[in-house]
Amino acid sequence: MSVVGFPFFIGTGFVMKGSGIAPEIRARLIQACERIVEAEGVVTDPEELRVYDCDAFTFLHRCPPDLVVLPTSTSQVAEVVRLCHKLGIPFLPRGAGTGLSGGATPLAGGVMIVLTRMTRILDLDLPNRSATVEAGCVNLWLTKAAERHGLFYAPDPASQPACTIGGNVGHNAGGPHCLKYGVTTNHVLGATVVFPDGEVLRLGGKVGDAPGYDLVGVFTGAEGTLGICTEVTVRLMPQPEAVKTILAVFRTIEEASNSVSGVIARGIIPVAMELIDRETIQAVEANVKAGYPLEAGAVLLIELDGPRAEIEAEAVSVAAICHRQGCLDVRVAQTEEERALLWKGRKEIAGSFSRIAHQYYLQDAVVPRTKLPQVFREIEAIGARYGIRIANVAHAGDGNVHPMICVDRNVPGCEERAMEAGSEVMRSCIQAGGTVTGEHGIGIEKREYLRLMYSPADLAVMHRVRSVFDPAGLCNPGKIFPVEDEPGAVGGSSQRGSAVSTP
Amino acid sequence: MPSSELRAIVGAGFFLEGDGLEAYRLDGKRPQAVLLPGDEAEVSKLLALAWEEDLGIVPWGGGCHQSIGYPPKRYDLALDIGRLNRLLAHEPADMTATAQAGIRMGDLQQQLGEHGQFLPLDVSMPERATLGGALATRLTGPLRCRYGTARDLILGVRVAHADGTITKGGAKVVKNATAYDVTKLYLGSHGTLGIILEATFRLYPLPEVERGWWLAAPDPATGQALANRILGSHLVPNRVELVGEVAGRACGVPGPGLIVSISGLPETVQGQWVDLERMAGEFATWPAEIRDAEGAWRRLSDFPWRNPGWDGRGIRALWRAGVPPADCAKASQAIREATPRGVVTAMAATVANGALRGVSRAETLGALVQSLAAAREALVSLGGYLVVMALPDAARDGIDVWGTPPEGLGVMQRLKAAFDPKGILNPGRFVGGI
Repeated sequence: MSVVGFPFFIGTGFVMKGSGIAPEIRARLIQACERIVEAEGVVTDPEELRVYDCDAFTFLHRCPPDLVVLPTSTSQVAEVVRLCHKLGIPFLPRGAGTGLSGGATPLAGGVMIVLTRMTRILDLDLPNRSATVEAGCVNLWLTKAAERHGLFYAPDPASQPACTIGGNVGHNAGGPHCLKYGVTTNHVLGATVVFPDGEVLRLGGKVGDAPGYDLVGVFTGAEGTLGICTEVTVRLMPQPEAVKTILAVFRTIEEASNSVSGVIARGIIPVAMELIDRETIQAVEANVKAGYPLEAGAVLLIELDGPRAEIEAEAVSVAAICHRQGCLDVRVAQTEEERALLWKGRKEIAGSFSRIAHQYYLQDAVVPRTKLPQVFREIEAIGARYGIRIANVAHAGDGNVHPMICVDRNVPGCEERAMEAGSEVMRSCIQAGGTVTGEHGIGIEKREYLRLMYSPADLAVMHRVRSVFDPAGLCNPGKIFPVEDEPGAVGGSSQRGSAVSTP
Repeated sequence: MPSSELRAIVGAGFFLEGDGLEAYRLDGKRPQAVLLPGDEAEVSKLLALAWEEDLGIVPWGGGCHQSIGYPPKRYDLALDIGRLNRLLAHEPADMTATAQAGIRMGDLQQQLGEHGQFLPLDVSMPERATLGGALATRLTGPLRCRYGTARDLILGVRVAHADGTITKGGAKVVKNATAYDVTKLYLGSHGTLGIILEATFRLYPLPEVERGWWLAAPDPATGQALANRILGSHLVPNRVELVGEVAGRACGVPGPGLIVSISGLPETVQGQWVDLERMAGEFATWPAEIRDAEGAWRRLSDFPWRNPGWDGRGIRALWRAGVPPADCAKASQAIREATPRGVVTAMAATVANGALRGVSRAETLGALVQSLAAAREALVSLGGYLVVMALPDAARDGIDVWGTPPEGLGVMQRLKAAFDPKGILNPGRFVGGI
């Protein structure tokens, strides 16, 4: 069986020792960094460095950085970056390390700049409904701070209690509630960015639509390859008047996904519409007892928010649509406790799975919402073909599927099979008109899949952007782009031609 | 100029030269030829040839917002995308559609409307303005209050580059984190990085009902306070516009104040109206229902591009400005105070986003330029900016239409150099002479 995916690193627990920066240069670097951030802000001990050898994507590749620096200010970040730039040493940013595609995993050592000591909320600007935070500020802290004033920060990735706003910007993070309110890029108004040569620029801000190219827009989701953001200004939104959480229970995943299309086609935009399949329900119920019926083939967790009268009317429509698809039951949470419990089930999926599978490979792809039934059928067939369990959860309202491919490392060849199955899942999503990642990013995991979506000419445009921001190619090198496509190796002009990409 | 080769690419009927190019005049300059390609392949060939011959090209949509920006440094060709005007795909159940850039916004909305959907980009003059132009200028209308801007609505684009290469950015699904979001770069870039040929966007359902109200406010500060109250509440208005006397009248309301609209099912709109009425009461005002709501929305999004009901006297400049959202009233007050005697200014602000737009009328060029400069200075001191969108050619020397370049200009210039090293796309028209 041929693997389109990973031409290298395939195999279990590939661990590299470091970049092989000459010891005397490393010593100089450590000394210089200690001058910038004090000794307690520099990690050099090999045992401690192993903590940083990967993010939450633990497959394929691990490598500790040569050293970790924990700055406390933008100017310290800039100084460290300038130092690396001068010495020609690669560097990469890291927030909480909760990323799911290896974006914060060092490819071959270098300096890791960790922003977890820059956690302040610098400005909670209520009249302008915006906040400026340091990049290391945890998503949930911002959410809590805004809540006290009747506002909220919309992007809510599952790792919300740990992940940082800077990391969210890097990966253009999403979350269940992004269906109605959009992902990180729709909420970032401005950022202070340390460019890969150490220059500090304040891009965008509270005042919108200033003339000029949308640098904030292209920076967001660039996975730390265009620079390091140290401060972020985000939009806050007023809390809705009312929230209604509905659990719709279905015999089959097909009925559930048809209901998703039905709701969208009706013009209703729930704040979240999460699909959870039988396999996942079993795992969750064994763990947290969220009240998902064990006999169900799938459930939809649907949340509506907005003016009370509006969501009452929408809830009636949603129930009718689900019933038309033959759903077994529609339950509306009657109390805040019931609502919290329904969501607890969704949020504990990851934890619940680690109880039943040794490990799982969490995929992320997006398909047109009308193609969900087809794609779920194909995923099932792929699982059967590889003899591997694939459970499905999805931010179904967005068409964002998250197949969870179970891996037992004790079974020889299981991890390889999982990766290959993942690769096939990707291809079937692309064939359905989709995209290879909705919110986890490319990192190191999906570099090869880029070619399934983008032509060489499309990628050349991205390289062009990279070469403008980071001509030396030192900032988080080796990420996003297919391996032999690394910028630096590719000149802007040599990529020109009349190639036309496939639509 | 390789006229015969250019003509051969598009066909004689779609290669215009000599007389009849008046409509394409910019700052007194006319192009040597106008090209109307019929498909993507023709655009690609035309650009490849222009690239080889080093010809300056101005991409052209409806032509109704071409006054924005500096005059082109070189203007050999206008590339009119008007024939690329098809809705290519519409998936009502997915709430997405893909259209060619030359489609008129009005035509697009009409076709989407047949399925009860629309693209909530209410740019001015939709009967002329094209989708491509709306994206390249990233102009916004009052509806952004609820639906955001092109930035939030566009999922992907196909773009023709300076050398004729055609690439895509983004995808046709509503959520995507795949590599760089290059689509964002083209939006608002005034065609200086590439020519948008096609875009995929998310759609919204046309509301069952939409009702609008005028809430009189004795002064902008009261209007702003009421707007803050509404925008900070659980209400979900489509529009919250702070209008001055002249702009208000131009849009069909009796005077200055707030224009608010809410959409949804009849009963839910009624529910929000009750709350709106209560909030208005806190500011000693009352929501008076706008009877010709459709007409009011059209006039409001056309403002200030269409004549605000003034006679033909005086000379005019159109502008847009940005300030922190809570400072719209301060900004309008500051602009008024900075306006010299004899100059009349009409303005409206989309309060949720701190986006102002307006028109200034003066008796002399000197007074016009002076008033714009003073207004800009006042806004800059609030942390904002002012862009002049249209003014008499003779006034161009008196004021920099883009104003002080934003932070990051160096990066923008390097991007331009990387995307269009010969500088053939809309040369010199954008910020900092990009």
